[in-house]
Amino acid sequence: MTLNGKGRRKKTLVVGVGNPILSDDGVGIHIARKLKERALPGVDVEELPASGLELLDMVLDYDNVVIIDAIVTESGTPGELHTMQEGDFERTVHGASPHGINIATALALGRRLVGDRMPSNIRFVAVEAADVVNVSESLTPNVAAAVPSIVEKIVAELIEA
Amino acid sequence: MSGPIINDTPTKTTEKKITIDPITRLEGHGKIEIFLNDEGNVANAYLQVPELRGFERFCIGRHVQELPVLTNRLCGVCPAAHHIASTKALDAVFDAKPTETAKKLRELFYMGQYTHSHIAHFYALAAPDFVLGPSAPSNKRNVLGVVDAVGVDIGAEVIKHRSYGQKVQEIVGGRATHPCFGLPGGVSKQISEEERAQMEEMAKSCVEFGKFTIKLLHDVVLANQDYMGLVLNQDAYYLETYYMGMVDSDNKTNFYDGDIRVVDQEGKEVVKYKPSEYLDVIAEHVEPWTYMKMPFLKQVGWTGFTAGPSSGIYRVGPLGRINVCEGYTTPLAQAEYEALAKTVKDLGVTGPVHHTLAFHWARVIELQYATERMLELASDKSITSDDIRGEVNEPTEGVGICEAPRGTLIHHYASDKDGLCTKINMIVATTNNYAAINTSVIQAAKALIKNGEVSPGLLNKVEMAFRCYDPCNSCGTHALNGSPALEVNVRRADGSKLDTLRNF
Repeated sequence: MTLNGKGRRKKTLVVGVGNPILSDDGVGIHIARKLKERALPGVDVEELPASGLELLDMVLDYDNVVIIDAIVTESGTPGELHTMQEGDFERTVHGASPHGINIATALALGRRLVGDRMPSNIRFVAVEAADVVNVSESLTPNVAAAVPSIVEKIVAELIEA
Repeated sequence: MSGPIINDTPTKTTEKKITIDPITRLEGHGKIEIFLNDEGNVANAYLQVPELRGFERFCIGRHVQELPVLTNRLCGVCPAAHHIASTKALDAVFDAKPTETAKKLRELFYMGQYTHSHIAHFYALAAPDFVLGPSAPSNKRNVLGVVDAVGVDIGAEVIKHRSYGQKVQEIVGGRATHPCFGLPGGVSKQISEEERAQMEEMAKSCVEFGKFTIKLLHDVVLANQDYMGLVLNQDAYYLETYYMGMVDSDNKTNFYDGDIRVVDQEGKEVVKYKPSEYLDVIAEHVEPWTYMKMPFLKQVGWTGFTAGPSSGIYRVGPLGRINVCEGYTTPLAQAEYEALAKTVKDLGVTGPVHHTLAFHWARVIELQYATERMLELASDKSITSDDIRGEVNEPTEGVGICEAPRGTLIHHYASDKDGLCTKINMIVATTNNYAAINTSVIQAAKALIKNGEVSPGLLNKVEMAFRCYDPCNSCGTHALNGSPALEVNVRRADGSKLDTLRNF
């Protein structure tokens, strides 16, 4: 079956997930925009203001995918970086996502239904958020301050890959 | 496959408070609190929702033409509905009449939204209860469990057709998730003949998938006596409320445009109003324990979480729409509407369908209608015309209403002469349903939990009472700037504070 008509591409996709007008919830989008400015060869950058099944549509036919999202943990420090694998990120603030299909479930569904089109490698970069309640296009200061170094770290990893 | 697991064995609890948290398979981190009395019976129950603060303040002072792309950021689930309601509000603000081509493109785009949204709800949220059973283990009662039960091929069809709905939105709306094509008096993007033909092919396939979905509902739910026992359980899932929804000039359902019709418990028309008149019909009640307001019919009044003619609570969404309409303009949806009408008539029901779980049946009828209407519009070669913008006038004030998949969605803006927003008010679908959802939760909890005996299956059946509304909390609390954060969410049966928790 074909979901989106894309042919198989040996490329990397970076997806920033979040709501860009909900303070730190949009940190993944902010980082994605910085990465897009770099125009790294072989790397596509997308913004995803939803998650779950929309994410599944997006990642198909890529070999490597990096998903950047906000996270709220019990004892995290705002701006702190968490890296995770496909199986262990249910704690993200998007856990109960559109129509209840969280990212983990959507990816598992993809592996089940269209496994040959799923990326061989999916990594998660989650940034600890301070405010995911107030409507604002700006990040809170500690999260904003962490963005440049997180961008550099992701760029280094993408170039290495 | 083995049959669905409908019942499990309850165990006695000595707890006074039962919390279902977070509500599974729901956008936003809602929470149900159930309070028991000394006998272990339900004293009360609350559905609490998170909030999103300061949206109104965020919009004031911006150009009103930005609002279709800002308001659709309220939500990752139904951005297309906000985009359409917002664009229609701009039509009114700028006194602009959209061209025929623009209207068709907006509606075609919107049928893509309905197709994707109703497929996702039915297969990902509702099907786990129906295919696997409400008392199936929670780690299996999800969309992956559904795929295990019905097979990978059907699962792939679900994903494919949901994706077609997205693709139609992307072609017409510019972007799949957060569209940007709506302008006062029209749309920004003409489509090509190649794109039209592509959408026509996808729509044909979606119509067939709609037929398949109706058959699945018949085979799995309607043919199962145990399920029908649940559906027809009037103690747990039955409210005689008012209903609200959009209709065309023949009182046929329309999701994109028309007047808003309200009917009473007997199906008699109470009022039919234009979008600009919504404040004459709807008032809003506030409860101390939640940030989401509770709209009710002004002419009837607020009498608490009760149904009946004296309570102004109304329901919107698929059940609301099917009860206010007199049918559908497309043949397959109309045929299934008649099948539903016959079934309920055979049960002795006259007038509206008050059975809460009938939301699901109404939703698959609407899926069929959306796919048929999508095909009608995509087959119309005139939609490739370049006549996509009408004239606009000086901005003032206006209201736009459409039917979101979850129910009636109202956007109301005022602008100064330079086009800067001076006022914004929105009543979203889940807010319209909020009082009814709470009433349904209280009803189901009281009917299903007795003598302190609870089980995961019983608690899931309480959840089913509100999940069928397909509530989306992320945009339901949008306009509450300046309110304190939603942290207090544990209360005694009388509503007084018991404990404080963070909600995310």
